[in-house]
Amino acid sequence: MNAVRTAWRITRLNFRSQLEYRTEFLLMVAIGAIWQVSVIVFATVLLTRFTGMGGWDSSEVLLIPATRMLAHGLFVLFLGRMHGVGRFIQEGRIDIYLLRPMPVHRQVQLQYFPTNAIGDLTVAVGLMVGALTRSRLDWTAGRITYLIVCLIGGMLLEAALFTAVACASLRFPAADYWGRWLEELLGTFGSYPLNVLPRAVSGLLTFGLPLAFVAYFPAAVLTGHGHDTGVPYWLAASSPLLGVVAYLAARLLWRWSLNHYTGVNG
Amino acid sequence: MIGSIEVRGLSRTFNTTVRRPGFTGALRSLVNPERVVKHAVSDISFDVAPGELLALLGPNGAGKSTTIKILTGILTPTSGEARVAGVVPYEERERNARNIGAVFGQRTQLWWDLPVKESFAILRDIYDVPKAEHAARLKEFDEILELSAFWDTRVRHLSLGQRVRCDLAAALLHDPMVVFLDEPTIGMDVVVKEQVREFLRHQVEQRGRTVLLTTHDMTEVERLAERVVLINHGRLVLDGTLDEIRRKYGSTWQVRATLADAHTDVVPPPGITVLRQDGPQVVFGPDGADAPTVHQALKAVIERYEVTGVAIDEADLEDVMRAAYVHAGPAGEGA
Amino acid sequence: MAVLHAWRAARVTPLGELHAPPRMTAVLVRLVVQVVLVASLWSGLYANTSSSAGMSREQAITYAVLAVLASRLRELDQYAGRDTVIQHMHFGTIVYWYLRPLPPARYHALRALGEQVYGAAWALAGYAVCLAVGVVEPPRSAAVAGVFVVSLLLGQLVLYHVMLLLDQMCFWTVRNSAAMLILIFAQNLMSGVYAPLWFFPEWFRTLSTFLPFQATLNVPLSLYVGRIRLSDAGEQLAIQAGWVVLLHLFTRFLWRRAARRVISQGG
Repeated sequence: MNAVRTAWRITRLNFRSQLEYRTEFLLMVAIGAIWQVSVIVFATVLLTRFTGMGGWDSSEVLLIPATRMLAHGLFVLFLGRMHGVGRFIQEGRIDIYLLRPMPVHRQVQLQYFPTNAIGDLTVAVGLMVGALTRSRLDWTAGRITYLIVCLIGGMLLEAALFTAVACASLRFPAADYWGRWLEELLGTFGSYPLNVLPRAVSGLLTFGLPLAFVAYFPAAVLTGHGHDTGVPYWLAASSPLLGVVAYLAARLLWRWSLNHYTGVNG
Repeated sequence: MIGSIEVRGLSRTFNTTVRRPGFTGALRSLVNPERVVKHAVSDISFDVAPGELLALLGPNGAGKSTTIKILTGILTPTSGEARVAGVVPYEERERNARNIGAVFGQRTQLWWDLPVKESFAILRDIYDVPKAEHAARLKEFDEILELSAFWDTRVRHLSLGQRVRCDLAAALLHDPMVVFLDEPTIGMDVVVKEQVREFLRHQVEQRGRTVLLTTHDMTEVERLAERVVLINHGRLVLDGTLDEIRRKYGSTWQVRATLADAHTDVVPPPGITVLRQDGPQVVFGPDGADAPTVHQALKAVIERYEVTGVAIDEADLEDVMRAAYVHAGPAGEGA
Repeated sequence: MAVLHAWRAARVTPLGELHAPPRMTAVLVRLVVQVVLVASLWSGLYANTSSSAGMSREQAITYAVLAVLASRLRELDQYAGRDTVIQHMHFGTIVYWYLRPLPPARYHALRALGEQVYGAAWALAGYAVCLAVGVVEPPRSAAVAGVFVVSLLLGQLVLYHVMLLLDQMCFWTVRNSAAMLILIFAQNLMSGVYAPLWFFPEWFRTLSTFLPFQATLNVPLSLYVGRIRLSDAGEQLAIQAGWVVLLHLFTRFLWRRAARRVISQGG
């Protein structure tokens, strides 16, 4: 409990420190929002132009970007400092964190308050509301619970991927480059029904990079497309479970990498 | 004059806005900001002759860096004039750039991702140094600084000592007459410091370069500088050779005696006071304007007390400078 | 003449990349995967449609793939080499830019020139491969090719000045990461990097015409695939040229002001 209290206190301080630079704070909220709005414009524009994509109705297809964005927003808020950690590693921050009596992972997450997450989440929630109202599904308690579980699973899956990149950053400073690419991929390809892509490519985005599990599979299962995804139904439906497992594995990898961390040179 | 520095009445002020505390204060600051004038440098004048090494001293925030920035052409003074090798640096930046070299302590001018030699090659191009001259100069630097051991390594993999040596070489590649060094040896180990000092001595004595050195390291000042300029609160407080300063402020000494009888009531002779006493160990110091010299004090202490051990300490440069800083006082007058 | 003599400054960033084979491999992998993904996506989108927003399937795929290749012309990794302006400001090493006989503006331009020549080599090689494989279509005629090349050159000039503007902002605000992020994203979105601008709603496209971003990539690529007809090319090229002049004057003015702001830390 002490750990939670400390974490909360630090978060409040971080938030206050962000408020110090008022313009910057507001701009960061704005960037989160603008970013998401643009991606939405982009995704929805394409999704509505190319109706009937992969057999998806336009009322259903918005659920994919909505799920993806909300999961991403949650990731940025809670676990997002793992992304771009390469920069801090180069500055020697990890060496400092290793000297403190708090788990390094937590210290990384508490580095600063992610103001852009505010804008991110606001817009993502808006999109989700829009997608839900447009959809003609019957939103039973079961469906809603599954959606929430999938959102958490998506958040954990994204976190797992970025944590894995962070582990690489501990050894190779150049790994940051892959992190940026990962974000780009998740952003651009995470919002589409992947069955429009050729089998080989969608397979890459399912088993190579588990992009499909973040939003596409959950949305497919929810809207009844769960049998057309190209993978067995049970696999698509267990996306949240995969997220949890992946995250735990990533955290173990982080601990292992930290034990083998040799410090920063120069 | 070739390679000389002339500073006349240099002043530089900065206008900064002060933030008022609190939320309402921040709002008010947005609309009606409170402006504060900061006098970084006020009416400084000094000269550095060609081939001289001048140490520019002063506490942090005294205005040393501002002075150097004006002399390197980065800042324009609010009033006053400066000339480096006959050129006004802030008016003819590029022409001045060819005459000067600079190393700023912790900041490197080398390209982080490239081997050191590549950085040297780029600088050679920028300064139009003929190839043969460049090679010869590198060889010369290599002799004292031992650069060839690592000049094929990328800068990101160098240690601090190696990097600063490379920065020194980089600053002198184009054979500048005047060199500005802003805390070059900060954070370096003793061996490398000595190497750098030897290198600087060589450059000043054999090559006749003019060097303006900022440092906090008194050993460095002692070993390298002929003259010292002390700046405090933006004002020039001292300007003289080391000998002059020592004579003026180096009058402190200490006599450390171990008395045979620990319980002796120590009443010191005239002009001498007890600085510290720890059982049989007594430290004597000068007292007042009529204090004797250290040798006279030593004689007096031995004559008065029975001592089993005695040692004398003459003021080292740090004590001298401390005395000079204190004497100069916060107002900056008096010297 | 100092320009010629300082030619080595031009190859700083490419040389840094050449010294890091893992980085080059990463870039190559990324390019290949990106091309495959993008081509597949647009094929998939066009599965049930023959034309949308005035672009056919082939046009859309060609556009998208060329946009991926053009990324090599748009951004080389200065950050890893601690050579971005914001890093120089952060570490205080920006002072050295003002201590050399080479004006900072010229150094910045030379460096960018080197980066773009290097990037062009990559893009050209990629283009040749894609053309051979059939992922991209060749231009319809020699005239189109010629106009495209001119437009691309102008677009690169506009892009350089936009990036320069972003860099110059660092001289004024130390904590400007948010503003920069917004501009970088807007720059990418409105250039047509993510998708051809033709697919965006009318209001978005109107907004884009008031900004220089679409001149950097959307115009040249649209000319290449034929979405902008040859007859309209003259007008588009003129607009691009106009942006170059405007931005050049503005950035030149800013360089002068920036010099006064190099008041790094320390007293």
